[in-house]
Amino acid sequence: MDMVAMSILDSTMVSICREMGITLQKTSYSTIFNEALDFTCGLADKQGNLIAVADFCPAMIGGIPLLVESCLKEIDVVSLKEGDIILHNDPYRGGLHTPEHTFFKPIFFHGELQGWAIAIGHIAEVGGMAPGGFPGEATEIFHEGVRVPPVKIKSAGVDNNDIWKLLLANVRTPRTNYGDLRALIAAVDLGERQMRDVLEKYGVSDVQQIIGDLLDYAERRMKAEIDAIPDGIYSFEDSVESDGVTPNKTYRIAVEVHVRGDQIIIDYTGSSPQARGPINATLGVSTSAAYNAVLHMTDPSIPRNSGCFRPIKVLSPPGTIVNVDFPAPSVGGNTETHPRITGAILGAMATAVPNRVMAAEGATHCNFVFGGVDAASGEYFACYDLETVGWGGRAFADGNDAVDSINGNCRTTPVEVFETRFPWRVECLALDADSGGAGEFRGGLGYTKQMLCLNETITVSQMTDRHFTKPWGLDGGLEGGCGATLVQKNGSHKWETMCEAYGKISTSRYSNVDIHEGDRVKLITPGGGGFGSPKKRAPESVERDLRDGYISLESARSNYGYTGN
Amino acid sequence: MREDNIVGVDIGGTFTDFVSYDATTGKIENWKNLTTPANPIDGVLEGLSNIESMATVNKIRLGTTIATNALLTRKGAKVAYVTTNGFKDVPFIQRGDRRSHYDITWIKTKAFVSRADCYEVAERISALGEVVLPLDELSVRKVAQAIRNDGTIEAIAVCTLFSYVNPQHEDRIAQILAEELPDIPISSSFHVLPKWKEYDRASTTIADAFLKPIVQESFARIKTCLDDLGIGDKVGVIKSNGGESSIWGAAATPVQMALSGPTGAVVATRTVAELTGIKNLVVFDMGGTSTDCATVVNGQENITTDFEIEWGIPIQVPMIDVHTIGAGGGSLAWIDKGGLLRMGPQSATSVPGPACYGRGGLEATVTDANVVLGRINPDFFLGGRMKLDASAAHRAVARIADKLNMAVDEAAMAMLQIANNNMLGALRTVLLQRGLDPRDFTLLSSGGAGPVHICDLLEISGIPQGLVPNYPGQFSAFGFIMTNARVDKQRTIQQVSTRFDALAVDEAMTHLVSSAVSELTEQGYVDNIHVQRSIEARYLGQNHGLELPVDEASIDTESAARLWQKFHEIHQARFGFSTPGETIELVTIKAVAIASCEKPHIATLALAEKSAKANSSRKVRYEGGWIDTPVYERETLLQNHVITGPAIIEESASVTILRPDQQIRVNEYGYMLVTAKSAEGK
Repeated sequence: MDMVAMSILDSTMVSICREMGITLQKTSYSTIFNEALDFTCGLADKQGNLIAVADFCPAMIGGIPLLVESCLKEIDVVSLKEGDIILHNDPYRGGLHTPEHTFFKPIFFHGELQGWAIAIGHIAEVGGMAPGGFPGEATEIFHEGVRVPPVKIKSAGVDNNDIWKLLLANVRTPRTNYGDLRALIAAVDLGERQMRDVLEKYGVSDVQQIIGDLLDYAERRMKAEIDAIPDGIYSFEDSVESDGVTPNKTYRIAVEVHVRGDQIIIDYTGSSPQARGPINATLGVSTSAAYNAVLHMTDPSIPRNSGCFRPIKVLSPPGTIVNVDFPAPSVGGNTETHPRITGAILGAMATAVPNRVMAAEGATHCNFVFGGVDAASGEYFACYDLETVGWGGRAFADGNDAVDSINGNCRTTPVEVFETRFPWRVECLALDADSGGAGEFRGGLGYTKQMLCLNETITVSQMTDRHFTKPWGLDGGLEGGCGATLVQKNGSHKWETMCEAYGKISTSRYSNVDIHEGDRVKLITPGGGGFGSPKKRAPESVERDLRDGYISLESARSNYGYTGN
Repeated sequence: MREDNIVGVDIGGTFTDFVSYDATTGKIENWKNLTTPANPIDGVLEGLSNIESMATVNKIRLGTTIATNALLTRKGAKVAYVTTNGFKDVPFIQRGDRRSHYDITWIKTKAFVSRADCYEVAERISALGEVVLPLDELSVRKVAQAIRNDGTIEAIAVCTLFSYVNPQHEDRIAQILAEELPDIPISSSFHVLPKWKEYDRASTTIADAFLKPIVQESFARIKTCLDDLGIGDKVGVIKSNGGESSIWGAAATPVQMALSGPTGAVVATRTVAELTGIKNLVVFDMGGTSTDCATVVNGQENITTDFEIEWGIPIQVPMIDVHTIGAGGGSLAWIDKGGLLRMGPQSATSVPGPACYGRGGLEATVTDANVVLGRINPDFFLGGRMKLDASAAHRAVARIADKLNMAVDEAAMAMLQIANNNMLGALRTVLLQRGLDPRDFTLLSSGGAGPVHICDLLEISGIPQGLVPNYPGQFSAFGFIMTNARVDKQRTIQQVSTRFDALAVDEAMTHLVSSAVSELTEQGYVDNIHVQRSIEARYLGQNHGLELPVDEASIDTESAARLWQKFHEIHQARFGFSTPGETIELVTIKAVAIASCEKPHIATLALAEKSAKANSSRKVRYEGGWIDTPVYERETLLQNHVITGPAIIEESASVTILRPDQQIRVNEYGYMLVTAKSAEGK
């Protein structure tokens, strides 16, 4: 192995992926792209092995290998031409959920296919039964937007207008979608162009050799990490609290982690049968969730390519909430069920590698989506708004306050951008004291965002969790606080849940509630669980938390035995 | 004797560098001494004692790390934060993302303010600038009372929602607080950064307040010391935009000093562009622990508002876009768990330093590799003022070579190549990630270590030409004697092309220009002022603007139409597509006021009559093996001298290693231009 060439090629390819991402960020239209950065960009070799990726959205990174594999089965590779671009979003063809649109551009060099430039982005509005995606009451995939099997959006460098027309006719915000699709194309164009330069500079056979070495190297690094984890079988369970359409039913996520030598097997047997509502994870999602957990437990500097995933095996029984069968809905699997799975794996490993896990995080993106016709401009608007949660406490530090759940790495949209774009007025954005579970290392805090509706009507839907199932603690740490979504109708002083106010089955996932001018919506996000007994918390940390308002005096007294005033 | 000496002083981490220009003789001199970290002015005074007569000094410009260090070490004021009801947690919530993926040990970056010191007042302005809730002045006086009772607050930051649209509430809050608490300095967001996105504006305003007492105090001390020398009124300081400011002007908004020192190399690079006519330059300034990269495009430095002092802590005042990476001569070699050789980001720092420094360092660094490979002469480091221990370098690299089962020189070569690859990453960041094509650029190297690496970097970066300036080791301080007084102003004005209120934008621009100009004149810079205006625009819905210069005298419907047309063209050029007919959104207006200062006249070299002569030779390792390489002394080189590789060009603070396939031509100012041999005669 030529380690100099490996270093150079690896950093060059990761840099290309980052440049693709920057293009996306700078040219896309929806806030979920350009503020929240809910996308990722990667490169694959011609067999479909992921060879480099830029760190944007972790849920997508782990999903790429299966996505590429599934699509390559269906794409007629032989008839591909230079300048073709393939678009795909189908959860039942290796995808994650309908909003996640993947663009593949074949990289041809001297007339031969050498690899793929890939960009995945979350398109906020995808058609279907609710504006902004995430219909919390969907019962089949067709409710969740337009399904796109691998199709050519460009053929030999020319727009395939039939596809464009069909896609844009089926979404509520064609202007925004057009901009986002163009941005994704600009990203794969850049990746393809720059990867061709790499092939020109180093030559095809050298590049192939080095890529092979790079995949082997990542595999070696991962094996060395797994080898250092004590052998054993570790298990844990968590639950998803509702599927949005079935009353009073919760869904089990069961994980059993087998560590043997330098191999790790993650087995989901025992998880609930698939749900009627949209909380199911596709195989792509549950595989990505397993990778996500293992990457969190190992050295973050291992190159993220298909090689590092080789020592990880995932057993995911079909027909369950972790490997859904057609045509059940799955839009919430990628955002809600994924972090629940990842958290359960970390929970299982708490006794084996206590310094590499955390107590439960809030594990939801809150996924508050809305749309309507803007009274001022007459234009249809749609938005996917996501919020942050508290991280779980760790064996060495408190949980972080107000951070995106660990399967995303999205940024929240600034209030000043949000109000300029959409007819809401945000009345407060405030951390919730005591929402972090008490512990030697306290859980992080969630927050409350309260909004006043300024438009005649805004239609809202949501896909969140942990309104009832509390974020668990570890090693004697206490549970964190739950989230909630509350509505106050114009003129009323009462705050009500979506069940109370609109007769919905679930408080945490629902579709198409019409909010009117003067109504208020309050989104409360969950905190994280605590780590270690609160009695062991350093008294000065308790005092500091009290002074800074992270905990109340009651909590200081009852949980931490504080005796001051 | 005329009073026309200009002195530039760059207070760095290890050395304080001095460059002086004597207009009478045209002579430029440079020297350095150790920095005195506890009281940096002591090191400055030591260096200034080299100047024979202070009476000849007309201007002294200081690049200072006072603000940078206060931020990095978090030694600043205890700040109170005052904001709109419901939003005091904005500095703690931040943006919700994390520094990197998969790092379970990550701890969210702490705000520069405690939550207990945050206060809310009743008021609200809408996105359109209307008063939704009038300011409750009583609530402001209550906050003042609470701050007074607290007794520990040293500075106040005020940032209310949408103050960039309408600052009336924020201004009134600051006014009341100033009345109530006359001894506490106040920073308000509209004056520090009138741009949207409340967290970014709050973070910048808090940093400004955090710096105010310490910067004001330390500037007062510098002023007193220089007053004693009779040059207190001749001093200017360098801001993060690379421009000079009066000392009290800078102290009024100290956050503008967040990145002062590294800007000197960029200003110096712009000077090189002006002198040589080479319009596009990328500078890499390589020191012991870090390397700064920046570009000069079409003769202009690149100004950014995306700076973060730590991950997640934005400081968004306009400043020169300098990208810093933790790779330098002191970067350590190590072998990871997959058996791969890596360089840095851990560094040997100045103590103990690389193994070859002989101060007890055992681990191999980039500098050690350069010694093993014959690139750095152990007997002529810093012009011979510091002897290096070549055998210690050899032993350190041998330890890495053993683990890799390689020969020592091969291991050293691999170390060098991997270190160069890290620097290539930084070059990609400032070029390709900003949409710039390396093939349009000239690579300029500075810092003591820069010229050692420039030729290898040319080879791997696709940049066709290199340039080694004079005094590469004091390049930043040289920039300071070449700079102007400069004020950068920006403001968010949200407008769309389809409902464009040209009059409102024109008014706002006029106001912005006059505030930039008056900031200059208030500081005493009244001559040779010129103004640059531009706007930042994007397709409605996009989040990142493209900058468009505004050349026409006023903004009206017709000139706006020409701007939109220009926008489509620039978007096409930058991103490869445009959407004609699409609505365009104006986001930010920008005004830059520059008062041109008197510039040194750079002398030219005599024409070479004979070819350059090497005075010795030594063996240097290249990819192909060891080659006996002639050594030239830089000070003997004359205009139009051509040296073909392989060659070594030594000077007191640096050394340039020319590869066998390259050549150097010396231009009229003594700059060495490096190209491939095949480019000969072009």
